[in-house]
Amino acid sequence: MSGTVANDAIVAEITIKAPAERIFEALTNPAQRVKWWGLKGRFETTEVESDLRVGGRWAMHGNGMGGKPFSVVGTYRIVEPPRVLAFTWLPSWDEEASETLVRFDLSEQGGVTTVRLTHSGFASAGSRARHQGWPQILSWLHGYVES
Amino acid sequence: MVTLNHKRREAVFRAIADPTRRDILGLLRGRKCSVGEIAANFRSSRPAISKHIRLLRSVGLVVTKREGTARICRLNAEPLRDISNWLSDYESLWGESLRSLKRYVEEE
Repeated sequence: MSGTVANDAIVAEITIKAPAERIFEALTNPAQRVKWWGLKGRFETTEVESDLRVGGRWAMHGNGMGGKPFSVVGTYRIVEPPRVLAFTWLPSWDEEASETLVRFDLSEQGGVTTVRLTHSGFASAGSRARHQGWPQILSWLHGYVES
Repeated sequence: MVTLNHKRREAVFRAIADPTRRDILGLLRGRKCSVGEIAANFRSSRPAISKHIRLLRSVGLVVTKREGTARICRLNAEPLRDISNWLSDYESLWGESLRSLKRYVEEE
């Protein structure tokens, strides 16, 4: 499992010993998603709603840091079982946030599936980043902090 | 999740969403420059570049100081820390969620 920042996206990847169909189900079935999605003590999911079709709405509700309730809502953009799932992401805790895009790509080989997550669109609300992007921006910060 | 200072953070996001402004920050990374020196690197008019610099200054990414008749600009990367913290929050959210997905699917 690794998490990195590439261009203007957050990319995370993991290998799971299960068929892609099984993982796609865990990603899209609300009763299953509520069981694993989140971050203990900081982002605990209690309820997931899902209208699984392109253009269909989804929502998740839960408790964030200090038990503060949160919601994330969005719309499915790509539903191609069992390989691609993409949906928009709009969090309630950030009044001025614009919609970003979360995409899961599943590739199965011999019963083992690589799940690649890409969360993108952070710097593209106004104009899409054409070059440079996060690594460059963060290197400025590191340069600043280390100097 | 990070909730503090989201207005400031959004302003920084907007500031760095523009490629010209990122180029200006890149120029200032290694050295201080006058507004004229910065403008010389771009095809855009000097007033247009000045406007970009004002915006960068308003979010704290650029600090300016008068030296004689020139206005000298330098990079202040500190506001990027908010964005870095916010990104690492998401990185841990997705990282933890994927590990949790793995446990859920493999152990059931």
